[in-house]
Amino acid sequence: MNDGTAEEIKKLVIARLEAIPKDKKISIGSHGEFSKENLIEEVKSGSEVGRKIIEIELEFLRALKKGIVL
Amino acid sequence: MSFTYLVTRPEYDDTTHYLSDWSKETIKLAENQGLKVLDLQREKANKNEFEGKMEKFSPVLVMINGHGDIDSVTGHKNQILVKVGLNEGILKSKIVYALSCKSAKILGPRSVQAGALNYTGYKDDFIFVYEPELISRPLSDKTAGLFLKPSNILIESLIKGNSVRESFEKSKNALKKNFNLAISTSESDSTTARFLWWNLRNFSSYGDLDTSIRQLPN
Repeated sequence: MNDGTAEEIKKLVIARLEAIPKDKKISIGSHGEFSKENLIEEVKSGSEVGRKIIEIELEFLRALKKGIVL
Repeated sequence: MSFTYLVTRPEYDDTTHYLSDWSKETIKLAENQGLKVLDLQREKANKNEFEGKMEKFSPVLVMINGHGDIDSVTGHKNQILVKVGLNEGILKSKIVYALSCKSAKILGPRSVQAGALNYTGYKDDFIFVYEPELISRPLSDKTAGLFLKPSNILIESLIKGNSVRESFEKSKNALKKNFNLAISTSESDSTTARFLWWNLRNFSSYGDLDTSIRQLPN
């Protein structure tokens, strides 16, 4: 994946994370608990949690596209 | 007949606090069904206490709440409870449900190799969404309930004597129902959909799916 594509993917994921309501937090196991803003920062910085969120978003979108969500 | 149900309930961060509170419902049900309950809450969720209770009372059903990794599950303040190569044999002859991250990836199959009847858990991170203002009342948190109620269905079904297969399917179906609800309603609910989907995708069961506590010696 080239840098341009990676940046586009980050933007896509961040745009989707923006939809998370401010009054919700996400528990990601031993990684801890994250607000929407925390998750967006993790994605921007390319941390382990950020990469996990990108993985989840991309796999979920692929599953939706293939119609094999469940 | 009297069966024993052992549950670990560390409480030291939002996640373990939520898991612990939601597990109270399984304790109530187990007591109502006449099971003996071993409740390892907070500091009691440590390796010595866990191993001691497992050896002394030989519970047929074990629920482990807490953090985990591909080859381990932990108790209070992240102390190792069970780890591959260290003590996975402690799960021999048990039906185990681990509500923790990743442990079904390696600890699950390895504990079954070591004699566990069944090990159900998650192959990757278990993720849930919650409402921080309800941290003192997790059972009132309907958002968290979308994730944790289906989890409880598994253990509650096992307590009632159903097979792992039936219990696993009931739990999966509840997750699917919540996913369909989340994805088809408001945008805010749809943000939870991806994480419900993720948990469902990683929810796994190893070993004998036809076993139940009814088939085991008490």
